Amino acid sequence: MTIREKGYHHWDGQFLERRHPWWPITRLGIRLTFKRKFFKFIFSSSLLPAVVFLAGIYISERLEDFRGMARVESLLLNISAKYFGAYLTADFLLFMAVIILVFCAAGLVADDLKHNTLQLYFARPLRKRDYLLGKASVVFFFLFLLTLVPGLLLVIFKLIFSGSFRLLRENPWLPLAVLAYSLLFTLFLTAYALLLSSLSRNGRAVSLLIFGVYLFSDMLFNILYGIFHSPYLGLLSMRTNLKLLAVPLFGLKPPLGLPWGYSAALLAAVVALAAVVLVKKVKGVSVIR
Amino acid sequence: MKAPIQTDKLSKWYGNILGLSEVSLEVRPGITGLLGPNGAGKSTLMKILTGQLRPSLGRAFIWGEKIWNNFRLFNRIGYCPEHDSFYEQTTGWQFLTGLLRLFPFSSAEAAGRAERALATVELLPDKDRLIRGYSRGMRQRLKVAQALAHDPDLLILDEPLNGLDPLGKRRIIRLIKDLKNDNKTVLLSSHVLPEVEALTKDIILIHQGKILASGDIHELRDLIDSHPHIIALRCDRPRELAARLVREPFILKVHLGGQPDSLIVETDNRDRFFSLLPELVMDMGLAVDEITSPDDNLQAVFDYLVGK
Repeated sequence: MTIREKGYHHWDGQFLERRHPWWPITRLGIRLTFKRKFFKFIFSSSLLPAVVFLAGIYISERLEDFRGMARVESLLLNISAKYFGAYLTADFLLFMAVIILVFCAAGLVADDLKHNTLQLYFARPLRKRDYLLGKASVVFFFLFLLTLVPGLLLVIFKLIFSGSFRLLRENPWLPLAVLAYSLLFTLFLTAYALLLSSLSRNGRAVSLLIFGVYLFSDMLFNILYGIFHSPYLGLLSMRTNLKLLAVPLFGLKPPLGLPWGYSAALLAAVVALAAVVLVKKVKGVSVIR
Repeated sequence: MKAPIQTDKLSKWYGNILGLSEVSLEVRPGITGLLGPNGAGKSTLMKILTGQLRPSLGRAFIWGEKIWNNFRLFNRIGYCPEHDSFYEQTTGWQFLTGLLRLFPFSSAEAAGRAERALATVELLPDKDRLIRGYSRGMRQRLKVAQALAHDPDLLILDEPLNGLDPLGKRRIIRLIKDLKNDNKTVLLSSHVLPEVEALTKDIILIHQGKILASGDIHELRDLIDSHPHIIALRCDRPRELAARLVREPFILKVHLGGQPDSLIVETDNRDRFFSLLPELVMDMGLAVDEITSPDDNLQAVFDYLVGK
């Protein structure tokens, strides 16, 4: 028998752990998104509604100066929580959010599946939840820049332009409502995009899916509503469901008179489905049989 | 003393297909070659050891700790996968520093480690090129670099020499040998036997999901009784030597080779043969030019055990 060298000594050290192991994944995702062609232009364009609504706030405080120039909408005369709800539920905002998803989220999981990088991630001190949190945070970053940040800035500018806290005295929950709606809106769209991203290795196909499902849900609703006139068909539309979430938070009139609870349950079901699928699909090894 | 890697009756099924069957083994410090034909279960075993697959049955431990869901363990493990795993649109530098940041390293430390790892695999001059422009050999070296960069104590390398040119292979072989000197444990798989033979004599032979043998190549060869040892000699009077050898009970066959001075002997007791040979050489006054054991190598062990 050969004499073996026993060079190994038992290691008694402690395993170090990164405090936020998801952060490098998020940072890489954000960096790669900004590198995409046209993204900076698209992202800047998506902030246009915020500029328009900011101008609205400014005009509301300077009505006397503008009275002669334009017919002022009644919404501007008395800016309330509904005004901020109107910003967050604007069709253009959702449309731009979907476009941003196409840029920032389509390849998040699909590219890892395509390039087999999951096995490298999971051969490092990283849990599945860290990986998913890292990927989700990329989408959160961009969608919060689109919803939460402008929403809160609009509230702050309203206070600055009016020079009083009347808005907050009348709507003390308004900042929380902006936060809650932005969170729910972002959570749903993140789950939606990551779910679709995990279903294919082809980032372009996922881009088409993200945009197509959004568009198709609305078209289907419009066609069926035109035939059957049932308001419950609104539940087929992503746009209508997201708008309904804002109803209890901003005191808005519900579209089609639908109860918002149905939409909340439906969107929660999609988020839960996405979580289940992601946990199943995201693994280090794709087994070749 | 516990071996760094231990498995106990490890089995893995993919539906009805058997990937591994009751694999029990120990991998000691140093370099161990995991050998087997394609589809033998090498990658399955490596993926279980890197926590990417959950065994259907049995247990696997690294440094005495369970592997599955033990993510902290991977601070000390480096894994080089068989297939490419890159973001093609990043540079080699970004790829490596991005992966290093998943460890508890500051950005400065990650940069330092990335630089050292790239220098080790001689990729530093190409660090700012996009990976999509890398050659196959460069990609392979980058994979090895990412496995080494965090200075792990255990390296699991799945076909690390694939796609490398001869010079590249020599570099990586030298690098892996240096790891042994650094007191690290290296488990590497390959189906190219001479590559493994150049790296280590400790092997684990796997076939159809089962461990056929593990240990030193020469010891394993000695233990294979069903195949006699073949010894080839070149001397000045092979016929005389053959006549003398056939009298011995442990000599099973003697062939006179294709060359006029060659002789091939088959024996079931190599030790006795090599004890006798010097005596015969002296008594008969033979001039022996060469003695070789053509089947005392990895290829022969592999062929005998796999049943080729």
